[in-house]
Amino acid sequence: MTAIETAAPREVVRPARRATLLIDADVHPIAGDGGVGDRLAEPYRSRFKTFGVRNPGQSTYPRTRNNGNRLDSRPDGSPGSSQRMTRSQLLDEYDEDIAILIHLPGRTYSGTDPEYSRALCAVTNDMLAEEWLDVDPRYRATIVVPFEHPEYAVEEIERWAGDPRFVQVLISGSAEAGMGDRKYWPIYRAAAEAGLPLGAHLGGYDYNRAGSGWPSFFLEEHVGLHYEMPSMALSMIAAGVFEEIPTLNVVAIETCFSWSVSLQWTMDQSYKLMRQELPALSRKPSEYFREHFWFTTQPFEEPDDPNELIQAIEMMGMTEHIMFASDYPHFDFDSPDRALPLEISGVMRENILGENARRLYRLDALTR
Amino acid sequence: MSGEIIRGAIDCDVHVEPASLEKLHGYFSPYWHDFFRGARMSLSSARMYPPNAPSSARPEARASGSFPPHTLAELQSQLLDVYRPEAAILNCVVSFVAGKNPYYQDAVCHAVNEWIRDEWLDHDDRLRASIVVPTLDPEAAAVEIDRLAQDKRFVQVLLPVATETPWGNVRWRAIHEAAARNGLPIALHAWGAIGTAATATGYTRSYFEDYVLNSQHSAPEQVLSLVTEGVFDRHPELMVSLVECGFSWIPSLMWQFDKDWKSLWREVPWLKMRPSEYIRKHFRATTTPTHIPADVPAVQVAQVGSMLNAAEFLMYSSDYPHDHGPDSLEALLDSVGDAGREAILRGNATSFYALGERASAGAAG
Repeated sequence: MTAIETAAPREVVRPARRATLLIDADVHPIAGDGGVGDRLAEPYRSRFKTFGVRNPGQSTYPRTRNNGNRLDSRPDGSPGSSQRMTRSQLLDEYDEDIAILIHLPGRTYSGTDPEYSRALCAVTNDMLAEEWLDVDPRYRATIVVPFEHPEYAVEEIERWAGDPRFVQVLISGSAEAGMGDRKYWPIYRAAAEAGLPLGAHLGGYDYNRAGSGWPSFFLEEHVGLHYEMPSMALSMIAAGVFEEIPTLNVVAIETCFSWSVSLQWTMDQSYKLMRQELPALSRKPSEYFREHFWFTTQPFEEPDDPNELIQAIEMMGMTEHIMFASDYPHFDFDSPDRALPLEISGVMRENILGENARRLYRLDALTR
Repeated sequence: MSGEIIRGAIDCDVHVEPASLEKLHGYFSPYWHDFFRGARMSLSSARMYPPNAPSSARPEARASGSFPPHTLAELQSQLLDVYRPEAAILNCVVSFVAGKNPYYQDAVCHAVNEWIRDEWLDHDDRLRASIVVPTLDPEAAAVEIDRLAQDKRFVQVLLPVATETPWGNVRWRAIHEAAARNGLPIALHAWGAIGTAATATGYTRSYFEDYVLNSQHSAPEQVLSLVTEGVFDRHPELMVSLVECGFSWIPSLMWQFDKDWKSLWREVPWLKMRPSEYIRKHFRATTTPTHIPADVPAVQVAQVGSMLNAAEFLMYSSDYPHDHGPDSLEALLDSVGDAGREAILRGNATSFYALGERASAGAAG
């Protein structure tokens, strides 16, 4: 769906209760004004107020509307800062069973020094638990970790591993090294041992833009960021991450999914010629990809002929790894009622709208 | 391991390379001769195509002991006289590795272009060539394009697909304008200048990753840039070929790009059509590598061909002497009918490179 342009209030009419599960795998809360800073202890509290958080990727593109958010999603503070508004505009309006929260600024906290980064992530997770998870049982959350400081990232994963409301670990589509680098493996091990997938949300840790260079416009940036995911998958697969940590799952969030057809084919065709270089692998690259990677749907791709999208899904061979997401409250929000074309029907539709996420995030007890 | 080379086609990607930098010395000014005397400088595509990697040479090319072909006689005996292409477009990519000193890069490009003319184009009427240009100095690139465009056997401007700034950026306008005013397409060819890492996280740990990312990262980013920045609105006749970059990624890019444009069109009001329409109108891709493995079901190969409108979008290439493994090109050609096959093997390249108009113009040979 395209941007919601009008802020006119309208009466919320609850739809008839659906027979099938609806899990929204990408919802963005944000700490209200000073929210994270006020939770920090000294000396970080003063540092936050004085210098903020310095990290990569802070230059921005001029944006034409509402800085990337729905015009109707602005409470007194920033869009996403009101739990009540999120509940009313999303959970109640669409009768969502579960919304998985992703606090985006947390992707980049690790650009600062280890101690400050650790403190920022810890208070962000505290905030999510107290201000969201404790308030409505339909929320689940993504653990924010200091990714570039693995020992503290592991510590933070372990701190929340016993709380079933935290269902994945947030990473960015890029980092200071390739995502397969062994520096990060302790994080991957800790996540896998806790049964938590890595949620790789596009953008954020904009450390570098090699391979093509920096775009000039947000449009090319925003689509271009989808192509971080092939780099991430390649790096992890080539390094043997999934041989070493066979229970690890990775979710590519907000980056579409049809690109993975060509990625799988290109990897497999090339692997035949280059396997000498990849001694860690015992299977074709696409087999690791199909087993370990997952996708969220928003922005839902819309070829003129929706059947082409279904063909692409069949080529991917990953029907059971695609999970609906709305990306509330951002400008390109996908409505749970309207984003999926009618051609996606039956079991495939039920899987995408809820069942796939239920399996990945181990929401077994959930029923309609 | 290799895909079949098709006989009698127009071959849009054939690699040649001087046996050594020494072969080009005569094209350099005295300033550079001092470097050549004093240092062991070399020039080759070995970093992009490690000589012992199976992907760098087809078995018959490897057996010849000289690849990519260093002389016309080698190319004739290995390719031209065996597969008898109607025409072959020569690409010499060694200048991609001269990516640090802009003056050296300019001198290398000038030398390569003159070597191509003297040693190849002048001696076989079937040959056409790409112009290589100094990518660190767009003004110098424009001068080189204007100079060589007078010779109609040079049919396009060759640029590396991996860059430090994407090709639609304002700083490249001199190159866009020079190509457009001379009626030459721009070719984006796999790989990039030394110093250009393949990914958003910088350098990779393997050749496999770099190789795959030509098509899975760099090429889509370049298409996004050229369309978004309005290059085709300023130059409505400009065409771009994607060479050795695969093509199975293109339908997905069109869907993703159109979807985002629906929300963000205000940022780029100069776009008069959906992004996918610009891609269909202004881009073409060469066939090798397909990046559709041989074991993909024929019905899926046909579906990709249909999504892409392959009969209009693709131009045949052997990518000789490189070897990308068994692929599904034959199944794809089977799926587009006789007219589609003819278009992919010959017709599309004939019109893309205006080979009919240019045929008599150059051939001094």
